[in-house]
Amino acid sequence: MDTSSPSAFVNGALLRRYIGQKVRTVIQVIGSDTGSVVGKSTDDLQIVVRGSSPPNPLTTYLEVIGIAESDNSIRAETWTNFGNSFDPQNFNELCKLANGEFKHMFI
Amino acid sequence: MQTSVTAGAISTVLSNPSFDSSSDRPEIVVQVVDLKPIGNRYTFSANDGKTKLKAMFTASLTPEIISGKIQNLGLIRLIDFTVNDISSKATKYFLVTKCEAVGSVLDAEINLESKSDEEASVPKKQKLEHSPVTPVNDVKMDVSTGITLKPKQEFVSKSASQIMSEQRGNAAPAARMAMTRRVHPLVSLNPYQGNWTIKVRVTNKGVMRNYKNARGEGCVFNVELTDEEGTQIQATMFNDAARKFYDRFQLGKVYYISRGSLKLANKQFKTVQNDYEMTLNDNSEVEEASSEEMFIPETKFNFIPIEDLGLYVNQKELIDLIGVVQSVSPTMSIRRRTDNEMIPKRDITLADESKKTVVVSLWNDLATGIGQELLDMADKSPVIAIKSLKVGDFQGVSLSTISRSNVVINPVSPEAKKLKSWFDSEGKEISMSSIGSGMSPATKNGSRSMYTDRVLLSHITSNPSLGEEKPVFFSTRAYVSFIKPDQTMWYQACKTCNKKVTEALDSGYWCEGCQKKYEECSLRYIMAVKVTDSSGETWISSFNDEAEKILGCSADELNKLRSEEGEVNEYQTRLKEATWSSHVFRVSVTQNEYNGEKRQRVTVKGVAPVDFAAEARLLLQDISNKNKASQ
Repeated sequence: MDTSSPSAFVNGALLRRYIGQKVRTVIQVIGSDTGSVVGKSTDDLQIVVRGSSPPNPLTTYLEVIGIAESDNSIRAETWTNFGNSFDPQNFNELCKLANGEFKHMFI
Repeated sequence: MQTSVTAGAISTVLSNPSFDSSSDRPEIVVQVVDLKPIGNRYTFSANDGKTKLKAMFTASLTPEIISGKIQNLGLIRLIDFTVNDISSKATKYFLVTKCEAVGSVLDAEINLESKSDEEASVPKKQKLEHSPVTPVNDVKMDVSTGITLKPKQEFVSKSASQIMSEQRGNAAPAARMAMTRRVHPLVSLNPYQGNWTIKVRVTNKGVMRNYKNARGEGCVFNVELTDEEGTQIQATMFNDAARKFYDRFQLGKVYYISRGSLKLANKQFKTVQNDYEMTLNDNSEVEEASSEEMFIPETKFNFIPIEDLGLYVNQKELIDLIGVVQSVSPTMSIRRRTDNEMIPKRDITLADESKKTVVVSLWNDLATGIGQELLDMADKSPVIAIKSLKVGDFQGVSLSTISRSNVVINPVSPEAKKLKSWFDSEGKEISMSSIGSGMSPATKNGSRSMYTDRVLLSHITSNPSLGEEKPVFFSTRAYVSFIKPDQTMWYQACKTCNKKVTEALDSGYWCEGCQKKYEECSLRYIMAVKVTDSSGETWISSFNDEAEKILGCSADELNKLRSEEGEVNEYQTRLKEATWSSHVFRVSVTQNEYNGEKRQRVTVKGVAPVDFAAEARLLLQDISNKNKASQ
């Protein structure tokens, strides 16, 4: 497993902590355009993801790994369709725990 | 500190009921006599040496009684108590909320005898203390008509009614009758004082049974009696008395009963919460209380919603249920295994506000009598309430009536009303699922029971005494880690009843259960599987339906593969494929004796695929619980 460039689990609210750093998150796709996908984070904030090759077609949920550009946008390096059934609440709790009391277990 | 009772305290308190604060009340020390548990509270007679008054400790004092701080025949100082009325009667009782034990426990009742007739409580009791009565101590079920009372009792009763008629003078006979009928609460009855009358409702009536034993033949039946306070006692009648009273006792009616005898209840046959049981003989009196007001409570129900029935499966505790009838089956005849007798059964499906349905099996008279009534009115969706049902695990959850079950159609009660209005407004439209389907192996998704009692395997293996008395149930998520290819994985089963069949000498198979020979049989799994999780591992037994889910094919199919020759043994492949797959299991843990050693036996009751979202939620909950606990 390549651990050379770890990415932090973030939701909408945690994104601002990692501006300029590598992050990963799952969003619910709301709309897509050429070169960008607009989605809803697991804590109901809007996130825009820019990048060259989003998957086509897109499923409801999409995982994105990339660099956080601002507190609501990411420049994607890797995109992965996560299907149509996904529990956003579980992921949200994971983000909170991974950045909170269990931070030492992650990055 | 006083080492004896406060003489006359009870009369003082009774004549002065308006104590406002405990500081007004003088110190009262009484002796605890006839300490008896009723449910989770204890009742007793408070004896101040002159008077005895019924009393009750609040439930908060029960631990002190159990621990022995408050004992029978011991002295207590009443710190906080109230004087309450017993419904319609003239007598009162003490409800003790706080007290403390004083002195040491005595050997016998204190009696500072004074022959006053004015005392509020029972003068007869006092007199009896001087005329020793041999305790009625007949433990065996006697063929002859129970215990006859000593003549001394009659003397006492005459004097009591004499006192009464002296006091009442020429009162109208009816009134005088009512007066002489000093009704005793059931809770005060004991074998040592036979001069009582009780006013009770027949809350259950058994059938007349004929028996034959070493002493001869006879007939017997019993009734369950409930009084105003809700206390219950069982009364039994034999032979002449049985014949005399069988028709007189009718379910639901109220009677005055006297001249019965009491003895300690035989725990083996106990169906009712009472230390004593009553026997009525030919001399006993049973009179219907016709025109009087009856405050006696109707059958007390404690309804369990259908969705909660899972907790009671295979437990000894009987439950009560209320529901709307969705369907009624025709009568079926089932052969009873013990004596090969055919007994009637009828299945009815009930639904309630928990939006679940359950099947109740009515047996014997309930199947033919009330069951037929229900069939005729099934389209009207009546509400029925049933008392004393046994909860089994057939098809997940199944309910069965027993001899003392009581069925009421369209009862008049707030619960029934609520249920009917729910049904009329939404219940009859919605589709409801059977409570059992959530727990039987046949469902696709995991059910509520897959997420209750969730444990790690180590919880089961680290506790060897689990399931010692009755099976304990858990759910667990684990991986199948090993299936021994060489085990006897299945048995030859009857295609009709699934029981084991034996090979007949001339082709075919013989089924003991069906008493028939069949051409073919099917194979059904009885498989040992090893399962593992992050905490440990254990072997579990799996029967057909569950094993099929684990392996993904039927036993017949697997058998075919096993016997196939060839390079690649499909059989081994199948087993390998099943290995290291994770499932959520519902298991039961019991104890087995094996070569003199006690061994834990874990059996799979249900298998469900892992729902990752649900499992993740469980884990999050665990984390949050651990956080709460450590705070």
